Amino acid sequence: MKMNTGDMIKRFSLRINSGIIIFVLFTSCGKYLSKDPDNRAAVNTPEKVEQLLGTAYPQANYIAFTEGSTDNVGDLGAGDVGAADLNTVNADVFFFRDTKSINEDTPEFYWFACYHAIAATNEALETISKADNPDSYKAQKGEALVARAYAHFMLVNLFSKFYDPATASSDPGIPYVTEPEKNFVKQYTRGTVAGVYDQVEKDLLEGLPLLDDNLYKVPKYHFTKAAANAFAARFYLYKKDYDKVIQYATAAVPVSNFKSTLRPWNTTYSVLGVNDIPPLYAKATETANLLLTETRSYWFRIYALGRYNLTPQKMSDLLRDAPVADGSWAFPIVFYVEGHNLVPKIYEYFVRVSVNADIGDGYNMVPLFTVEEVLFNLAEAYTYKGQTNEAIALLNTYLSTRITQYDASLNTITASKINSYYGTSNIQEGLINVILDYRRSEFMHEGLRWFDILRYKLTVTHETADHQTLTLADGDLRRVFQIPPTAKQSGIEQNPR
Amino acid sequence: MRFRGKNYHLQPKKYKRVLFLFLACAIVLINKAKALPFQDANSSDRVTGKVTDLEDGSPLAGVSVVNVRSKKGTVTNVTGNFSLQANAGDSIRFSFAGKQPKTVYWDGQGALVIQLARSEGTLGEVVITGFQNIDRKKFAGAAVSLKTDEIKLSGVPDVSRMLEGRVAGVSIQNVSSTFGSAPKIRIRGATSINGDNKPLWVIDGVVLEDIVNISNDQLSSGDPTTLLGSAVAGINSNDIESFDILKDAAATALYGARAMNGVVVITTKKGKSGKPVVTYTGNFSSQLKPSYLDYNILNSAQQMSILGELERKGFVNSDILSRANYGPFGQMYDALNADPNSGNFSLQNTPEAKKAFLLRYANANTDWFDLLFRNSLTQEHSISISAGTDKSQSFFSTSFYNDNGWTIADRVKRYTLNFRNNYTFNDKLSVGFLTTGSVRQQRAPGTLNRISNPVSGQFDRDFDINPFSYALNTSRALTAYDENGNLEYFRRNFAPFNILTELKNNFIDLTIVDLKLQGELTYRFTKHLKYEFIGALRYVKSSREHQITENSNMANAYRANGNSTINQNNKFLYKDPDHPDDPAVVVLPYGGFYNRAEDQLINFDVRNGLSYTNTLGDKHDISILAGQQIKYADRQSFNNTGYGYQYDNGGTPFVDYRILKQTIEANFPYYQMTKFYDRFAAFYLNAQYTFDKKYNLFGTVRYDGSNSLGSSPRARWLPTWSFGGAWNMEREKFLENVAFLDYLKLRGSYGITASLGPATNSAVVLRSATTNRTYPDERESVIQLINLENDDLTWEKNYQGNVGIDIGLFKGRVNASIDGYLRRSFDLISRIKTSGIGGEPYKVANYADLKSSGFEFLLGGEPYRQKNFSWKTTLTFGYNQTEITNAANVPLIFDLVKAEGGNKLGYPVNGLFSIKFQGLEHNSGEPLFTNEKGEVSKAVNMQDDNVDNLVYEGPVDPTITGGFSNTFTYKNLSLNVFVTYQAGNKIRMYPAFRSAYVDLDAMPKEFLDRWEMPGDETKTNVPVIDDNLYAPRLVGAGAYPYNNYNYSNVRVADGSFVRLKTVSLAYQLGNSALQKLFVFKTASVTAAITNFWLIYADKKLKGQDPEFFNSGGVAQPIQKQITLSIKLGL
Repeated sequence: MKMNTGDMIKRFSLRINSGIIIFVLFTSCGKYLSKDPDNRAAVNTPEKVEQLLGTAYPQANYIAFTEGSTDNVGDLGAGDVGAADLNTVNADVFFFRDTKSINEDTPEFYWFACYHAIAATNEALETISKADNPDSYKAQKGEALVARAYAHFMLVNLFSKFYDPATASSDPGIPYVTEPEKNFVKQYTRGTVAGVYDQVEKDLLEGLPLLDDNLYKVPKYHFTKAAANAFAARFYLYKKDYDKVIQYATAAVPVSNFKSTLRPWNTTYSVLGVNDIPPLYAKATETANLLLTETRSYWFRIYALGRYNLTPQKMSDLLRDAPVADGSWAFPIVFYVEGHNLVPKIYEYFVRVSVNADIGDGYNMVPLFTVEEVLFNLAEAYTYKGQTNEAIALLNTYLSTRITQYDASLNTITASKINSYYGTSNIQEGLINVILDYRRSEFMHEGLRWFDILRYKLTVTHETADHQTLTLADGDLRRVFQIPPTAKQSGIEQNPR
Repeated sequence: MRFRGKNYHLQPKKYKRVLFLFLACAIVLINKAKALPFQDANSSDRVTGKVTDLEDGSPLAGVSVVNVRSKKGTVTNVTGNFSLQANAGDSIRFSFAGKQPKTVYWDGQGALVIQLARSEGTLGEVVITGFQNIDRKKFAGAAVSLKTDEIKLSGVPDVSRMLEGRVAGVSIQNVSSTFGSAPKIRIRGATSINGDNKPLWVIDGVVLEDIVNISNDQLSSGDPTTLLGSAVAGINSNDIESFDILKDAAATALYGARAMNGVVVITTKKGKSGKPVVTYTGNFSSQLKPSYLDYNILNSAQQMSILGELERKGFVNSDILSRANYGPFGQMYDALNADPNSGNFSLQNTPEAKKAFLLRYANANTDWFDLLFRNSLTQEHSISISAGTDKSQSFFSTSFYNDNGWTIADRVKRYTLNFRNNYTFNDKLSVGFLTTGSVRQQRAPGTLNRISNPVSGQFDRDFDINPFSYALNTSRALTAYDENGNLEYFRRNFAPFNILTELKNNFIDLTIVDLKLQGELTYRFTKHLKYEFIGALRYVKSSREHQITENSNMANAYRANGNSTINQNNKFLYKDPDHPDDPAVVVLPYGGFYNRAEDQLINFDVRNGLSYTNTLGDKHDISILAGQQIKYADRQSFNNTGYGYQYDNGGTPFVDYRILKQTIEANFPYYQMTKFYDRFAAFYLNAQYTFDKKYNLFGTVRYDGSNSLGSSPRARWLPTWSFGGAWNMEREKFLENVAFLDYLKLRGSYGITASLGPATNSAVVLRSATTNRTYPDERESVIQLINLENDDLTWEKNYQGNVGIDIGLFKGRVNASIDGYLRRSFDLISRIKTSGIGGEPYKVANYADLKSSGFEFLLGGEPYRQKNFSWKTTLTFGYNQTEITNAANVPLIFDLVKAEGGNKLGYPVNGLFSIKFQGLEHNSGEPLFTNEKGEVSKAVNMQDDNVDNLVYEGPVDPTITGGFSNTFTYKNLSLNVFVTYQAGNKIRMYPAFRSAYVDLDAMPKEFLDRWEMPGDETKTNVPVIDDNLYAPRLVGAGAYPYNNYNYSNVRVADGSFVRLKTVSLAYQLGNSALQKLFVFKTASVTAAITNFWLIYADKKLKGQDPEFFNSGGVAQPIQKQITLSIKLGL
């Protein structure tokens, strides 16, 4: 084929043109290909960070394994939760065994949920740190920090040796995660319990002043100032820094407000039908609840049906007569299945996989911080600070909402009554005893007894129906729950056994 | 050439070796060397002419025209014309890929008119990859080209099903044969564990995107979305010219990062120059009603005798009236009750009266197949017009497909349009436009999605009215009509139920509109350099309207509130959580449902390519292609639930606020909409080099970018490459004289291809959700962390090596292809349990490897060929095995025992496992198993991850697949017999056993062999029918022994089968007869029967189709079909 120069030039320029086109396309591809593949969320405003922090609370329940490890439970001899897995969980905890189950209500499930909550806080904090206007994210930053502190605090108390000032700086802690994980397998270190406590304190104290209750759509499911102060009160109680307990507890609930905000067991609740109490117990409108969270859990079924539960003996010991007060507890005793007695508290919200499916997931709404706990923490701090009158006054406020047909003239407790009841002459010792007893009854089925056992190094004994005795004394390695075996991938040693 | 004789004498041994290798028999070789006429080189002139296709008269472009004497050559242009320097008396040789070469003697006359015939017995034709048309002789990859005419199954509207058994290494399983659902297609087996394994469909150079992505497991689920599963359901098979199935890395290289599962390229027909040719094709088919003779179901008398046992065991007593479902016994107890209005008893409570009442049902022997199925009439009419001149050609076709339904609940109409124009403006510029459209209207029985229930270990589907599974699962003692000929209602979901009423009142209407516009442009800068553009825009919209009228059982179930027991047990009633002690209430007082789902796709695809081809010197053929591609596909899917629609009342919805309250409290969205954005860009370069027409080298690199892994730029780009070589041995001197050898080609290739796995978290994935809290006013819309960022995320990739040999003997009498391959898939997406510290307990990451290997061969040819009689045969065979070599997933028992199989390290993809059956318990007759802890027990926890005690059965996908086709032609008559086969897989039998039965259920004949008294366990494996007092106790203790039994090794059968796929007889009317009688130029009539005979299958299956997953919903098995097809040409 013949060609003239014009053709040649045309051909040449065409080649260049197509080359340029390809080059331009290549460079503009970057933008073209950065489109998200689906309508996923982008977190780029304070409102969206706030939505992200809606998942910054561990959506798992520690009650099944903490309560099951305490001296609140015994062997009923029979009981069936209705699923093999839940029966296993119920039994393993009672026998102080590491459970193989990884499903709801196991330590492993709780571990994963705490770190999932922490990941949400870190994602939020990273967004905030990159934002052009970090000031408008102040309250979100506060919530993220406090929530991050809370999840780590729960983890370290369950998966590490309980805080002891003498050994905390050498006891292995749990990984304190402060940034989003971006690699498929990332390595972590456990640090020490003291180190984790320091970081919890740092996050908590940095976050607390930034909180703004007005931002929350459903405040009871978020760290309000009151809830964060309640958390701080618990934190310092575990750290035995009683001045700070008083400071934060009174900030959480002013002393004059206790009477009106405590759960009305001997008034409102006592006139309700027993079926109506559980739905109300973890409702946001209940003033005693300071922080609620929704948890994937079958705890309701376990404590309603399980074999290893509140026995009739323990029921009469713990739920009939209030120590010292010469009155009986107003807690109603009910059952779903005969022989399985319980105080109606936690209830199940069952989410079916589709509207009419028979299968689904169980959710329990759980109060994480309550006015009751603040009251007891404050009373305990007053006791150690020698302000025993204030402590006794608080306990009397408490009793006024708990004793059936409360009569102040009969039921008021005094230093001398306490001392004589516990056979001591030291009112501080007596007060600690009465506080522990009241806490034990008050937080029945809520798992908090476990932390009192750890704090006061109490021994737990479980007796089986065929009269075997299992003992879990202070120093027993099984008092620390086991870290999931898969954590080894990330360089985390499991707890010794 | 000239030294052929000499060559022969020099290397006799090689011939012998070749002989022994390929034939082992003596053949006398005759030297046919013929000297070409010697020509004077002095005079000079030009020969001109035109080359056309003998078959259809279309001009052939790119035909090599060589002056044999001067060795100068040229190629024809797009109109088929050429001009070449020559002297009168020269021989001019014309050759073109896929055509018989022709040499003509030019005596100086005017323009030559050359017609080239299709080559027989050579390794003919071209491989169409969608990017290039490559001369098969030069092609180094593994690919199979099929003409539609050769494989067409008359009366089968979905072209993907035509490939079954036709291509070695391509496995097609008809897991459902409902129109629109896709068969399970695997090219050389699975390449991915959790990702897609289906091939890429390419039509006229453009990738056919799926409207919705149907995952591996979903394919056989019977869910309504599966009706959108087949990408090619909207294509009229009469429009298709050819299929090219690209199997190895070299063949699929230009699809780079989407090619891992192989590619099927469809080329549609083009217009041809010449007088308009009108072709009409009409197919008239009937699908035959199934019959109880083929199935293993008890008749009504046998069924009633078992119901008698149920009655004794306490399943059937007056309590039955409080149950959700009942049949004849319920009817009886109902009749024993006094009519509340009249106070009369319609049935006396005497043994005689009761017996008489039940006797009617015992004698009923209802033929549900007869009531629900019919011998359908399917018509397909297709008209095409092809016309054109040298400068422009057009092809127009339209078709109408109408299936009035094999069952009374389904029917399909499909309209297609295909309009294609090609214009040649001059030597340089040609353009083409293609418009295709299809509209489908389909009705299917109303169905909801199935839900996997790992608790009991089964799939649940509420309100399933699939006629096929209804007929198989419903007792033949039930009657559709009562003594007076009125519809008879039994009870389902606490509401009256008659399948005939229900199918009329609960159905899905599906509409799909699919439009594609495509433009092509070719500009030839020079003889060697060409620019090609191809651009396509496609829009698909589908809507599924699930209409459930107020008369349907599903709507009435929401209103069943007859007594306090029903009130407590009917899950469709609403219990207000604010008032836990109150009875449940009806929340759908009027109307039914109008549920709508819509899927939409907008797809845009543009490609620019430059290609250069040249022959340097005599022996160096070079071809280079470079290009760029850009694509987007936006998908949207939407569904909503409409409550209280009153179909009979003018279509006004009546919505009780409490049904919405219930929906909201259950945290179930009553409408949803999701969007997906697919962005894709690629650059590619391909080079081919051939030396001396013998040695071919082939290499491709491609660079793909996609947004599908997430918005992070790191994971976005992926380079892929492949190379290969082919050796045309028949051109070697030592083989040139082997007269019986048509061709012999050795080829090999190696390369890497990829696919996008099911992970999108190269950047963090956050999604909004609603919190699951008891009180609606305490719920919040939150943003959930779904997946952490994974810096290391990448595409799923696959190294493939392929070696093959192609051989043709005796001028087309025998040809064979043998291929062997190894594949190593790596970076496959697997779900893995992590430390959880980052916040994601289970991550999906590129953490699995898979190896697979296989071989396949095709043996075919025309062994017998005479003037009036010929026999053509093709045998295909493919073997493939896979093994998961690395995976960190933690499968649960349920994941592995389900019919679709599961994935476990060290086993094939989709391996089928079973719970180990340990006999029947001596005292109770209940089945025992090895449970998850290794103990013998009735209870196996299906959600346990200890799977070591399961029995491995085999893969679910066949390891061996193939087909055997024979065509006998006598004069104008031709008979085709086509058999398909598969082997090497295991299938799970239908789950027939339950812990409790109702008097509605049909039972398979195994029940006659059931355990009835202690000691029977030594004679039978069929468990006892459980006692009503005992069964609930088992369930209460978390044991589902009967369900475990369904998943045990007793309930597994071999999946091998041989099927007589089709027998067809065609008669082509002779020319003379036609001209005398009709105006038609061509006419042929074909009669075919399809799927008539399952020649071999495991006896255990007893009528269960080995390909079909009876999952209910919209799934249907393949049908026996008779087709009459008429083709007329004007």
